[in-house]
Amino acid sequence: MEIEIISFGQIAEFINHQKIEVDGIADTDAFKRYLEDRFPTLKGMKYKLALNKNIVQQNTEIKNQATIAIMPPFSGG
Amino acid sequence: MSAERYNRQIILKGFGEEAQQKLLRAKVLVIGVGGLGCPALQYLTAAGIGHIGIVDDDTISLSNLHRQILFTTADIGKLKVEVAAKRLQDMNPQIGIIRHPIRLQKNNILDILSRYDYILDGTDNFESRYLINDACALLNKPLIFVAVSGFEGQLAIFNTPDHLTPSTNYRDIFPIPPHKGEIPNCTENGIIGVLPGVLGTMAAAETIKLIAKIGQPLTNKILSYNLLTQEQYTINISHGDDYILPKTVDEFLNMDYQDTSEGPQGYIEIDATELVQLQQLDSTILIDVRERHEVPVLDKQIFTQVPMSEFGAFMGKEFYQKHVVLICQHGIRSVAAAEAMQEKYGDAKKIYSLKGGIIKWRDHFLKS
Repeated sequence: MEIEIISFGQIAEFINHQKIEVDGIADTDAFKRYLEDRFPTLKGMKYKLALNKNIVQQNTEIKNQATIAIMPPFSGG
Repeated sequence: MSAERYNRQIILKGFGEEAQQKLLRAKVLVIGVGGLGCPALQYLTAAGIGHIGIVDDDTISLSNLHRQILFTTADIGKLKVEVAAKRLQDMNPQIGIIRHPIRLQKNNILDILSRYDYILDGTDNFESRYLINDACALLNKPLIFVAVSGFEGQLAIFNTPDHLTPSTNYRDIFPIPPHKGEIPNCTENGIIGVLPGVLGTMAAAETIKLIAKIGQPLTNKILSYNLLTQEQYTINISHGDDYILPKTVDEFLNMDYQDTSEGPQGYIEIDATELVQLQQLDSTILIDVRERHEVPVLDKQIFTQVPMSEFGAFMGKEFYQKHVVLICQHGIRSVAAAEAMQEKYGDAKKIYSLKGGIIKWRDHFLKS
């Protein structure tokens, strides 16, 4: 299964825009575990996922060729 | 009103006299007269928003001028609100500019926000942003949210229902504030002047669209903007259920906005003299928590490098030294690191943070 990952702000410093080929990631909870496992820095950070441009509020099924965005909060002005 | 002043937008197809009247009747509060607030205020003023309130308790400093374009070198040291109000009033004497030279807090924010129809948040810290979000949600005021970090920005409209979704708020995206130092701010991380210029102008555009009821404002959407690529990415916001939003004034007044990083403050903030004393002890470890690219580069024999981005992993390891001195560029991230250390070790180790950081004690670090 192919997933496109888009990231913003300081998360983009360690997770590049990329397409990954993975199996066994059925939903957004599993994807979160995968991400935090592969990029441990993410564990201590606040971030939100968006699946195909919709904010993820509860565990949601991921289909092939999904796009997942990882967004940290910004406060600067 | 002078129709001639607004002639070019009145004659614009899709805007017109009716939209102009809506702007003139609107009351907009701009919070924060910084990199975002300055351009937003200039365009809202020029466009003919009838009443504009401006909030900021800060004075102008030299390092503001590369991005806060309402101010000149001669304004350094003056109150931002006073200088901005005068300049904006000169730009457009036909509208009302209301000065609020204060810092918004729990006990004054509801009173001030209730006098306005639209709130534009261009502040520079999470404490203010959560305070403003919750106050706007409580008062049901449309909130134009705009923020920057590095070369990127975020823009959204909250507390405004659209035909698809009831109104959302900032906590639907980020339920609780990050800890202090978790997300670098402009002072720590730097900011290119034109970025808040772009985002502040976009925030003014969203405010005007919302008031004039034209186009598709970013209602229940958050737009991410990247200056380096000129790319934008818009995400639809829906309701989350994992946060607490005050539903009454009493609940609001009982919220804790002051310090987003709980945990006992058992660590000690020190100056360079105390640093030198601690440095003599064998049981002291000096930790530089800046990222590896940051300058000045310190002697790695003396200062152990543990960037904040790797701090979590470091916290999993054990080390023998009893005195732990944390340093960074300005003494902000080192406080976050000290809090984390304090929480883990309690009385088992003595934790110190160099107040003011390397920049404040530059002479000390350059000679050593």
